[in-house]
Amino acid sequence: MLTAVQNRKDSHEARPVENKDLVKSKHHRDDEWSVLLEKVANDRCQNSFSRLFDHFAPLIKGFCVSNISGINADNSDELVQEVLLKVWRKAESFDAKKSSASTWIFTVMRNTRIDYLRKHSKHTNNVVDGLEADDIWDETLDHQPFVYLQQSRDAQLARNHLSTLPVEQARCLRKVYLEGKSHSEISQELDLPLGTVKSRVRLGLKKLQAVSMR
Amino acid sequence: MLKNHPSDNTLLEFSAGNLPSAVALCVSTHLSHCPECKNKVSEYNVLGGSFLKNTIKSEPVNFSFDQLMQRIENDQKDAESLLPKELKISKEKVKTAFENTNRVNEKVITKLLKSNEPLTWRKVSKSLHEAVLKTGQSTHEVCFHKIKKGGKVVEHDHKGVEITVVLEGSFSDESGTYKTGDYIEMQPGNIHKPRATQNSDCLCLTVVEAPVKLTGVIGKMVNPFISFRPR
Repeated sequence: MLTAVQNRKDSHEARPVENKDLVKSKHHRDDEWSVLLEKVANDRCQNSFSRLFDHFAPLIKGFCVSNISGINADNSDELVQEVLLKVWRKAESFDAKKSSASTWIFTVMRNTRIDYLRKHSKHTNNVVDGLEADDIWDETLDHQPFVYLQQSRDAQLARNHLSTLPVEQARCLRKVYLEGKSHSEISQELDLPLGTVKSRVRLGLKKLQAVSMR
Repeated sequence: MLKNHPSDNTLLEFSAGNLPSAVALCVSTHLSHCPECKNKVSEYNVLGGSFLKNTIKSEPVNFSFDQLMQRIENDQKDAESLLPKELKISKEKVKTAFENTNRVNEKVITKLLKSNEPLTWRKVSKSLHEAVLKTGQSTHEVCFHKIKKGGKVVEHDHKGVEITVVLEGSFSDESGTYKTGDYIEMQPGNIHKPRATQNSDCLCLTVVEAPVKLTGVIGKMVNPFISFRPR
């Protein structure tokens, strides 16, 4: 670990200009959504929440409908409402220094979807006694502050460069996130060996990382 | 630094929310020991965030902002109950649950213990004890395994994928030594013979997809006692 920190420090010293940009990005959060979300957290500002609602509700619905697992146009509104309710309730735990609004809302949406599907599944029992998504996908385990400086940049780069990935790599990543498919489901659907799917996903990730390190 | 981690593919599926919850539980437990993997998951979440940002919009039709606010006002009380509460389980109690081992730091394990108290330990063999856990899912068996210091576990094969996270102490097998926080994934066909280190008991969280098959003569004798019990 020490070596990694040391390397990072060295590379920053070697590239002072870039380093300055990173520090700047901490204070100038590039998206207005994070600013609005902080207002919701700090002031319970309904006006800000209303703007977040207008922007994110259709995105959350679009995302959830694209997911294969039991969410369709009929029940998706209920889930979207649950997600936004949780965004309002949990806003206090949002920290703009650690993650951007869209990343944070993504994780809230992911956990809400997991609990929602579990609650509506015929195969599970004991939901009350069992663990909830927030226990397992615990937000204190991600959004690491010390990687944050790079994160807003990464998000932008990931967005810009997802489109530059080879089609088959981007397609696999899209299926994992948007369609909620496991690697083996993807391998069945695309009629590819599991190993091929795994390596496409890994190569795609590596390429995105290489870009964001540049 | 830990040597045994979930694969990048597994971490990505964790971030995307596609892992069965029992497997995710193992990943989560590992993350509480591994800053390196935590960072990866954070990065992957950013990727998830950018997928969300670039999704094709679809307008909700069944509710409006005003309706949402109405609902929020109506159940403000519920909201308060959602705020993270201090886990009320006492150090002493956790200690008892694990008998003489030290306290475990993972939040999710503490919660798991709380909903499974009192643990029922069952003797599988002279040096192996097992406590099956309820986790509200039905695809995997989740349990704690405790290997007595220096104790050996009967050589066994894996019919389904078996994931082990070391919670306390350490154990070793033919391929190496595993320490607290290590995440070990055994595939069907991986035969091994784990053994706890001499100086302390080893406590593990184990998640199995299908029954573990014991090999060898003793295995045949012990096998009937091991059954698949997802909770």
